[in-house]
Amino acid sequence: MNNESGVYVDLTTENKSSSWWAQSANRYAATILMLVVIGSVWALLIDSRWIYLLVYVWFGLAYGMFLQYGRFCMASAVRDLFAVGVPRMAVGIMIGISLYSLIAAAVKVGGFHTVNPHPLGWHIIIGAFIFGFGIIFTGGCASGSLYKTGEGNMGSALVILSISFSQAIFVAMSGWFDKLVPASWVASATAKAMPEELSVTQGWFDIFTAGYIWDLKGATAADMLDVSNPLVASFLADSFLVTILPASLIVVVLYVYYFRKGYMRRQKLQRSVMRMRDHLSGIWAMITSSKNTAIAGIGLGVFAGLHVWVTGLLREHYGIFNFGELLADMGHKTGLSIQDTVFDPGYWYITTQEAQWGAWVMEKAGVGMRDNIFFGLENGVPSPLINAPGFMSIGIILGAAILALLRREFKWKRPSMETAIFALVGGCLMGIGARIALGCNIGAYFATVSNGDPSGWLFLLGMVAGGYVGVKLFNLWLSWRASQFDDCPL
Amino acid sequence: MKQLVALWRKWLQRRHEVIVDRKRRPVELPWGEVVQVSHTADCMGAACPRPQLITMRMLEDMQKGDVLELVSDNPTTVETIPALAMVLSSRHLATLHTDSGWRIYLRKEE
Repeated sequence: MNNESGVYVDLTTENKSSSWWAQSANRYAATILMLVVIGSVWALLIDSRWIYLLVYVWFGLAYGMFLQYGRFCMASAVRDLFAVGVPRMAVGIMIGISLYSLIAAAVKVGGFHTVNPHPLGWHIIIGAFIFGFGIIFTGGCASGSLYKTGEGNMGSALVILSISFSQAIFVAMSGWFDKLVPASWVASATAKAMPEELSVTQGWFDIFTAGYIWDLKGATAADMLDVSNPLVASFLADSFLVTILPASLIVVVLYVYYFRKGYMRRQKLQRSVMRMRDHLSGIWAMITSSKNTAIAGIGLGVFAGLHVWVTGLLREHYGIFNFGELLADMGHKTGLSIQDTVFDPGYWYITTQEAQWGAWVMEKAGVGMRDNIFFGLENGVPSPLINAPGFMSIGIILGAAILALLRREFKWKRPSMETAIFALVGGCLMGIGARIALGCNIGAYFATVSNGDPSGWLFLLGMVAGGYVGVKLFNLWLSWRASQFDDCPL
Repeated sequence: MKQLVALWRKWLQRRHEVIVDRKRRPVELPWGEVVQVSHTADCMGAACPRPQLITMRMLEDMQKGDVLELVSDNPTTVETIPALAMVLSSRHLATLHTDSGWRIYLRKEE
């Protein structure tokens, strides 16, 4: 290979010759890790069944480390392509979903239930568009904001705050806008004869869920093709057709549109004499152009797959379908939904648990949050102390913090006014978009396509479209800012 | 309304997201090579995608052989810049990790 990448030099002044423990950043990292270990042991001593919750904590920690290691930001996958023409993150995601899908297929062959296919409909594209528009202004997607918070970025913490409350308010509120929904949704929602306390016909989101979403169908590729052989269904239909084939095609398209020209220039190759071999090494150069990102993609794919497997084993062991049953057994009934369930996806997910945090705070402040389907019937409003997926999000923050400290990349960053406003408004859009599309870039895309549900590609499509419009607007904003000041062009 | 606009302007002026300096100055890289930096963009505190977009704008503004110094404390930006250099007909010279963040040097090649 030619010598095309520059040199990395570490000029941090901390005394490298002093012992590992004497360096303060290492000490902080070790302290965080130790607190998580102590907390885990303490929880297990109280009741061994907390292991179910701790699985989320430790997988969250691993996700956080990989996200930080590869600066694995899905917002930049969309944004960097349009804004600056860099396919680094898009390639990393394709690696991640391919590996995830292979392991998820193995888990399915092993007889475990993985994910429920998402209902297929227009809401995915519309919600994803709003979400994709929002992430340009917040500077990070749902998972990206978590790991950036772990790096000490307080602007990203504001994004999480905004996502939490915007979702909680969005799914629970009702008012004049209830009248905007089609009458057919209201009729369909009324016909479902849901329990009175949910007041299903009040509240935009309730009518949307009961009158629209529940009438839609979703299916994995194996279901659609009606394959019965579990090996063929999982590996060929779900993994290969839905994930690996489209991901490979996307990698080729990225190479042709974003990487080939520069690669030929650097290698001094003429297109007319380029052979298949040259193109293949070009694709390899693109995949390895950011090794950290590629490694993170591998790690996230493998761990996300293992997560599904471990949760499946635990559910089998305890004979449960949902963590709510375990919580009820342990005497924690207050946060459960009317079906005694809580949000418990069993795989990598981001946004719903954040909505529960927001709802819990609002409930403490005296706002009724249970008269809706989202919290009241399905996900519950558990206290953050017993919210298992919530601990996965906290785990991501802590995992990222540990690695950032060890790599001397941790830094408290206070947002400027402009960044703070973008974070709050963008986070609000992300929250609303994620609820309409029934998930974020992880729950509705990464975990969805990897488990053989093609609806995730619709989410990506919407997110890319929203990101495209967002980048155009952001560039206009920069130009306007530039015109305001002479000394500062941007 | 006028007051509100004035307040808004003051608010924006209170802190620049990015400070750009077009003074030419020599910078010695750690291995002893001295490069002539023509543009410096201080993006301390700025989050993605701002530093990347600014790098693009700066490179457009530069002549062949000019060197850009980008100062950033945003790890994601640091990861993206070498890949960005590849598509922007420029060469990534060095990334220096300092206590406060990173200094990245790019030379425009075409």
